[in-house]
Amino acid sequence: MPELSKYIYLDHAAATPVSDAVVRAMLPYFTQDFFNPSAPYRPARQVRAAYEAAKDRLAHTIGAKGVDLIMTAGATESINLAFTARRSRALVSSIEHAAVLSAASAGDHLLVKVKPSGVICLDDLRNKLSDEVDFVSISLANNELGTIQPLAEISRILREVRQDRLARGVTTPLTFHTDASQALSLIDINVARLGVDLLTLNAAKCGGPKGIGALYVSHHVQLQPITLGGGQERGLRSGTENVPAAIGFAAAAEHAKSHSASHRKHCQTMSQILRQAIGGIKIPAPNRNPEPYTSIIAHNTEKVNTEIISPRFLGDLKHQLSSFIPVCFPGIDAERLVYRLANRGILVSTGAACAANKGSKSHVLAAIGLSDSEIAGSLRLSLGSTNTVEQIHQAAQILREEVEHEYARIRGAQHQKLPLSRNSSRPTGSERSDQAACNDRPARAGSGKTAVSDVASSNSGNIYV
Amino acid sequence: MSKVFLGMSGGVDSSVSAVLLKNQGYDVTGVYMKNWSEDLPGMKCPWADDLADAKSVAVQLDLDFEVWDFEAAYKQQVVDYMLAEFKKGRTPNPDVMCNERIKFKLFYDQAMARGADYIATGHYARVGTQNDATCKTLLRAVDENKDQTYFLYRMSDLATQHTLFPVGDMLKPEVKAFAAEHALDVATKKESMGVCFVGEVGMQDFLRTYIDLRPGEIRVAETGAVVGFHEGAVFYTLGQRHGLHLGGGLPYYVVGKDLDANIVYVSRDLNHPALWADTLDLEDLHLRDGRTPEDLTQIRDLKVRLRHRAPLVGVATSCPKKSIATSNQWSESRNEMVTLRFDQPIKRPAPGQSAVLYAGEICLGGGIIA
Repeated sequence: MPELSKYIYLDHAAATPVSDAVVRAMLPYFTQDFFNPSAPYRPARQVRAAYEAAKDRLAHTIGAKGVDLIMTAGATESINLAFTARRSRALVSSIEHAAVLSAASAGDHLLVKVKPSGVICLDDLRNKLSDEVDFVSISLANNELGTIQPLAEISRILREVRQDRLARGVTTPLTFHTDASQALSLIDINVARLGVDLLTLNAAKCGGPKGIGALYVSHHVQLQPITLGGGQERGLRSGTENVPAAIGFAAAAEHAKSHSASHRKHCQTMSQILRQAIGGIKIPAPNRNPEPYTSIIAHNTEKVNTEIISPRFLGDLKHQLSSFIPVCFPGIDAERLVYRLANRGILVSTGAACAANKGSKSHVLAAIGLSDSEIAGSLRLSLGSTNTVEQIHQAAQILREEVEHEYARIRGAQHQKLPLSRNSSRPTGSERSDQAACNDRPARAGSGKTAVSDVASSNSGNIYV
Repeated sequence: MSKVFLGMSGGVDSSVSAVLLKNQGYDVTGVYMKNWSEDLPGMKCPWADDLADAKSVAVQLDLDFEVWDFEAAYKQQVVDYMLAEFKKGRTPNPDVMCNERIKFKLFYDQAMARGADYIATGHYARVGTQNDATCKTLLRAVDENKDQTYFLYRMSDLATQHTLFPVGDMLKPEVKAFAAEHALDVATKKESMGVCFVGEVGMQDFLRTYIDLRPGEIRVAETGAVVGFHEGAVFYTLGQRHGLHLGGGLPYYVVGKDLDANIVYVSRDLNHPALWADTLDLEDLHLRDGRTPEDLTQIRDLKVRLRHRAPLVGVATSCPKKSIATSNQWSESRNEMVTLRFDQPIKRPAPGQSAVLYAGEICLGGGIIA
């Protein structure tokens, strides 16, 4: 993979590279086999056949048939299409992807709580499954924590509810959708075994191209098209088929499926190394009374805590994709780490890529009970096919250095910094006397907070370099 | 070590300012002022990218970095002011208000409350003492082509004492070269647009979302003949030539608006008296360093700038006058006005724009064109 070699890429949950083999499989459908699959002549019908075959191959990776799949322009569209099955009320977990939460918010919906591990609270689900509920959407694996939800158990509960409704003569259907975008390369997905009626897939997270997704639709589910036109994809998703992307999706999914066991093992090995290294980083314990979340970036001016702890891994390893390492460094601003690591060739993120750079805090981490400053200190590392064990050792070392650097910086701020070196030019004397002459500004309202600076200056220099 | 809060916009000027301040030994905290984040029709608000750029530079320099949210205040004190002015048929300058009300007021106050010795921004302007004065005053930038004092003339004298403009004595090409030398990611970033949140092209679309439009006639000033129709008189600015959609031939210029009758008047006569002025009345005066309108009459070689980057124009005389009724809710300034007289007629700037006065390098303040 060109270019990638200069980076250690630890953000596979955001996007995955498309392999040469997948690109090769797609290429002919841009050039010689470009025909519209709906055209009647033979070359076009061959394209149609290749497209249908690709759908079949893709469907087989989740134990379904090609005709059960509606191809879309990505997971977000699949999710929005899935939500057209909701007629009255939807139940979704509080840690769903923004696409699910937004689609749910367009109508009546309730959020189902999760436990601190990120695993859905089944009691809360049961309690909220009133007769109005006709749609449930729970992701297979969460995109920030990697938490794997007990879908088979959930669908058993839903089956009981359906039975109970029938017994009481209630005819409201109950449709179960799952967003499996993150899971395809690591979990053996089988729609029958999971017991889902609708399942969203995303090519871009399993080595396929961006801009294509699929929605598995079980026969009895009634959806409404959100894109009207020529009636492709059973009328549910009009528009000329994206043939090359579908071919690429199928090739990537098949590869992911056939390599999932070894991939899982590879990720586990690397994850163990990285987790051990991160666990070995010694960091100061967070303050007992952290400052309220005043600005987007929490700043820390409390007294230095001398207690030493280890970084905190988020989620529960027993219910987590082996590629995910969400970790919290309380007290520091993880976004700074993202930039510092990027400067050293390591690409990571603080959470969902769509939310991370907007300054909004993660609803997922809030839902599992993290405080604002813990959320600000959380990093999402996600491993994948581009990584080697050697890279992971390297990344672990650099991560440790940068984390220690950031904690040292905060400690420095708490001690009030003194000039970095004697030689560095400093504000000139004339400026200072001007300031004295025009000393007409109001007293510092924050002077109570900067008490540490008095301590530092009374020590008259050279404590902190 | 002096503590500085530096406004970082993610642009090259404030990024270079960060390097300079750090090298000069200041204890620098970078602050991204979040003033506006909404996308508008035809325009994606770049705030998230700008924030990422600003933070990336701050982290690269190992500076503390914070985001200060001024969106509510900005909406109230800049955008609402702007909309109110447009509704009155005037052409306001939101950048001037943003500097007065947000950057050199809210940002300044908050920084001082946090124990700052100085605030700093990446503006092209200078602060310094003149003629043995003890207090610092606002001075034009060394780079005459980039001088931004036109936008800064309303910053308070108080804030001026505690403000640093690190790039004010550099030329723009030097700033760019400095950024490249220091491997700042933003070295090649495109210059931001004039108005903080909406480019000149976007202003019509912006107004459209906030102001109820009343279509009306476009008439020729001299004859009263209807030559076209407009979507709303607020869109038209005195002297405007483009975007009138009045067909071919010689261009028309906007020479007046009758907001009550909702008529825009145009003329093909470039010498139409409405387009030229030999006097200008300034209201909402903001004179710097304690000057009064009377003081201005004492200044020889008084010059005025009527647009950002426009050349300085000599003022023949300035004459203080009491305003009759300038009850502008947006300004705390005294009810004083000044009339500027020119030797040669000048192209008349649109009411609502700023006129900024200078004596040599010193920015004396200015006012809003009545």
